[in-house]
Amino acid sequence: MLSRLVLVSGHTLKNSGSFGACLVQASRSFHQSSQSLAPVPPLPEKGGKVRHGIFPEELFTLLYPKTGVTGPYMLGTGLLLYMLSKEIYVINHETFAAASIGAVVIYGIKKFGPSVAAFADKINEDKVAKAQEVKDQAMASLTQGIEDEKKEQWRVEGRHMLFDAKRNNVAMLLETNYRERLHMVTNEVKKRLDYQVELQNLHRRMEQEHMVNWVEQSVIKSITPLQEKESIAKCIADLKVLAKATQARATV
Amino acid sequence: MAGRRAAVKAIDWVAFAERVPPNQRAMFNSLKTRSDSVAAKLASLPEKPAPIDWTYYRSVVAKAGMVDEFEKKFADLTVPQPVDTQTAKIDAQEQEANKTAAAYLEASKAHIAEYEKGLEKFRNMIPFDQMTIEDLNNTFPETKLDKVKHPYWPHKPIADL
Repeated sequence: MLSRLVLVSGHTLKNSGSFGACLVQASRSFHQSSQSLAPVPPLPEKGGKVRHGIFPEELFTLLYPKTGVTGPYMLGTGLLLYMLSKEIYVINHETFAAASIGAVVIYGIKKFGPSVAAFADKINEDKVAKAQEVKDQAMASLTQGIEDEKKEQWRVEGRHMLFDAKRNNVAMLLETNYRERLHMVTNEVKKRLDYQVELQNLHRRMEQEHMVNWVEQSVIKSITPLQEKESIAKCIADLKVLAKATQARATV
Repeated sequence: MAGRRAAVKAIDWVAFAERVPPNQRAMFNSLKTRSDSVAAKLASLPEKPAPIDWTYYRSVVAKAGMVDEFEKKFADLTVPQPVDTQTAKIDAQEQEANKTAAAYLEASKAHIAEYEKGLEKFRNMIPFDQMTIEDLNNTFPETKLDKVKHPYWPHKPIADL
């Protein structure tokens, strides 16, 4: 506990400016010496044990070897009787007032003590819980931050894929262009050859048609008017025969 | 007409997609559609054009020597490979990207070191129920009450209670 006082005084000395080199020196030596006691042991959970609310347990353990269990009680009774009988303590109106107040106080403590203590403890617990929550959240966010950073690093590692894709695109475009050129060359040559073939075909067709026309015309010219009349008469006779045949078929 | 240049590398688009951060997804999608269209165009073209049937033409075309002349010239013809102007640029871009990536990694590692330091401080802290107010002020300097600025209790503006 004294070390804590030393720490406090050291702190205040340091904080209240520089009075002189020696004082600063002293505070630094204080600080250094108290640092060697770190970590400070935790405060005890409960206070010293007492009996009947006032008398410390150490008194009873002190007297136990000599006087046993009833020793301190006998001591207390004897002291009380001594003070009353010798009128070292005089009974007066104040005695009654003190007794009443004492009774009320003891009743109040006995009845409401535990709940008030629980309430105070709860306030403390809430503070600690809040601080703990802050700490947990901070730790969680830090770990999350580390995770995110690692993920981003992993993402960055994949950057070569982008450039591979770009190079692929370029290669594919070049390849496409090359193939298009090949195709174009072949197609052009083929077109030229086909043109020649078609040209020849056209020539031949035209010659054929011309010859046919010429033959037809010469045949028509060679038909004399007499032959024409004869062929028309023959046609009419044939038609009459055909008409008779169809009439006969129709009546049947 | 032989000797293809840069071979096309197989790209794992699924793995690539995993590594794309959400704010660059649109760019990635446009890249993918472009690549797919280019690949489709390439696939639609056959590798070699259909060979010309010289014997048929020789038998049909009347002009003497024309087909032979065509054939000879056709065989001698070499189609030039298209010149690759972009790969150098892409390599330069890649170098740039590598540099920026290295810088980014450095920054990222610095961040991680900071976070680690904070985590260490939290891990080495004494538990709250063993702290005094001074220990609390030492660990979290923001909890220290400014007794100079607010000399009277509660040493902070009432609104902050």
